[in-house]
Amino acid sequence: MSNRFTRWLGRLGPTLVLLAAAVFFIAPLVSSFRVAFHKVPTVLLDRHTWFQKWSFEGVRRAFDEPNFWPTLSLSLRLALITVLITMALLVPTALFVHLRLPKARALVEFFTLLPYVVPPIALVAGIAAFYRANARWFLNTDYALAPFYVVMAMPFTYRAIDAGIKAIDVRTLVDASRSLGGSWAMTLRKAILPNMATSLLSSAFLTATVVIGEFTIASTLAKNTFATFSFEYFGRDAQGGIGLALLTLIGTTGLLGILTLLTRTKSRRAMSTTSRF
Amino acid sequence: MSALTFAGVRKTFGANVALQGFDLDLHQGELVTLLGPSGCGKTTALRIAAGFERADSGTIQVEGADISKTPPHRRNMGMVFQSYSLFPNLTVAGNVEYGLRTRGIHKATRAARVAEILDLVQLGELGARYAHQLSGGQQQRVALARALAVQPSVLLLDEPLSALDAKVRTTLRDEIRRIQTDVGITTLFVTHDQEEALAISDRICVMSQGNIEQLGTPTEVYRRPTTAFVARFVGTMNEFTAEVTGSGEVAVAGHRMAAPGAAGAATGSKLSLLVRPEDLALGDDGLPGSVTSVTFQGATTLVGVRLDVLDVLVSADVGSGEADHLQIGDRVSVVVNGANAVCEPAPS
Repeated sequence: MSNRFTRWLGRLGPTLVLLAAAVFFIAPLVSSFRVAFHKVPTVLLDRHTWFQKWSFEGVRRAFDEPNFWPTLSLSLRLALITVLITMALLVPTALFVHLRLPKARALVEFFTLLPYVVPPIALVAGIAAFYRANARWFLNTDYALAPFYVVMAMPFTYRAIDAGIKAIDVRTLVDASRSLGGSWAMTLRKAILPNMATSLLSSAFLTATVVIGEFTIASTLAKNTFATFSFEYFGRDAQGGIGLALLTLIGTTGLLGILTLLTRTKSRRAMSTTSRF
Repeated sequence: MSALTFAGVRKTFGANVALQGFDLDLHQGELVTLLGPSGCGKTTALRIAAGFERADSGTIQVEGADISKTPPHRRNMGMVFQSYSLFPNLTVAGNVEYGLRTRGIHKATRAARVAEILDLVQLGELGARYAHQLSGGQQQRVALARALAVQPSVLLLDEPLSALDAKVRTTLRDEIRRIQTDVGITTLFVTHDQEEALAISDRICVMSQGNIEQLGTPTEVYRRPTTAFVARFVGTMNEFTAEVTGSGEVAVAGHRMAAPGAAGAATGSKLSLLVRPEDLALGDDGLPGSVTSVTFQGATTLVGVRLDVLDVLVSADVGSGEADHLQIGDRVSVVVNGANAVCEPAPS
């Protein structure tokens, strides 16, 4: 009996921690959801009013804002450009480091972590000063944000790519392809990248979520992205702004969910086919 | 003309010398094995032949043409790796077809070649499967098929059997030899497994510390090792301390015997005499000792004997008929035949 009680107590601790964590994460979301879509003040909440006056009006108003679609479109275009630049820069870098400079791996990892250390505002000041002096025209375009976002997303994207490379025996695959007559381009296209699909996808999604949610740099450089629009709209219409933030959160979570689903389906398919033999 | 030639190849990694003045000729259609312990330079030699490493000096030639500076994808060599190295995203057929695609061969020709080569490795039915759906042995056969599909001038095998279990290893070893002989392709095989090397090779190149210790047929390497290193590394050796009693004659614990390997050593000097188990026999007038183990091996039995006078443990390969009455602890007498013994100065 005492053993059972001890076991029950042992399970209680972790369960309470999990519950506390769940409340910590879920309570603000539930509150945001109610504020965004429910037009009943908290003091008037009871079992009758709980089911009344639910409405998507706040978010619908946001959709009608003249800046909504242009800023969303810009953020999506920036996300796409950032993903492309990130892939073009980091995939060859990570492969080169793995294949030719394995001793430099720690150094490269350190560099990719720098965006964590350098505050975004300092980053903007430094890079903007460089562009102002050398390519002011570029700084004036909306796409000037892309290089900043590449740097901002680097800690996540490099790690995702690095994990993908570590998951395959990249040196042997490269050697095998080269010995069969594959050029570097073909080796990359046919032998390496298809086997890193999951990590590349994850890297791309992480980059996209960073870009869509980034506010500081866009605001400092006076660019109208979806994040700056959301912030500005929140100032005018709190309910619609919260609804918009919630939709953005759902959108990015959806992206990550799709990624998880794709990854899981792939590994499950591999496992089930393996177990047949 | 040699199919593949290493001429004075030297390679260092920092302060480590992996190969020093490595010279080797492979004749057309033969299978040469690079055999040696880890770090002896055998894989480095293979990777230099494939073009994955660049030699510090020396040249690599294929049929007389210097390919030292040719990139790997233009060398037309087929390579099989220890870790299978199949492309996980491609089917078996896709893997075999890969090298044909890089050469821009027409689709119909590719399909016919893939079918032909998969039949050769007896995997004709598995073309649609992926690597993870195959056993280790099957994966390595696909890797072999993939390397052969491009009709390479030289086939390079980098310890292709070491990741497999013992039974599959033996089967695949024989299959590699059969295919290599059928196709008639010049092959450089790297292994640290002496049994594998003896079973599969036309010639064996025993290596140590970046140098060739001996190059010869399996029989030569096993029966007539030219250095104590080769004698110890290839096969099992019994080691006796002997005293030189005349030209080509030694005495082990007072028992005199002919040992041509000792010719040239000063009379009265001490030698280490290395003798194969099959050169020891159980007889009447030998070194006395007690049986410590009896291992039945089919036609022969390996008998372990601790000698009284030298306090060493030796193994004698004797006919199973002769050994079937032996029990652990039995008193026996070991007769040493020094005719094939390798001699080296005894450690002082």
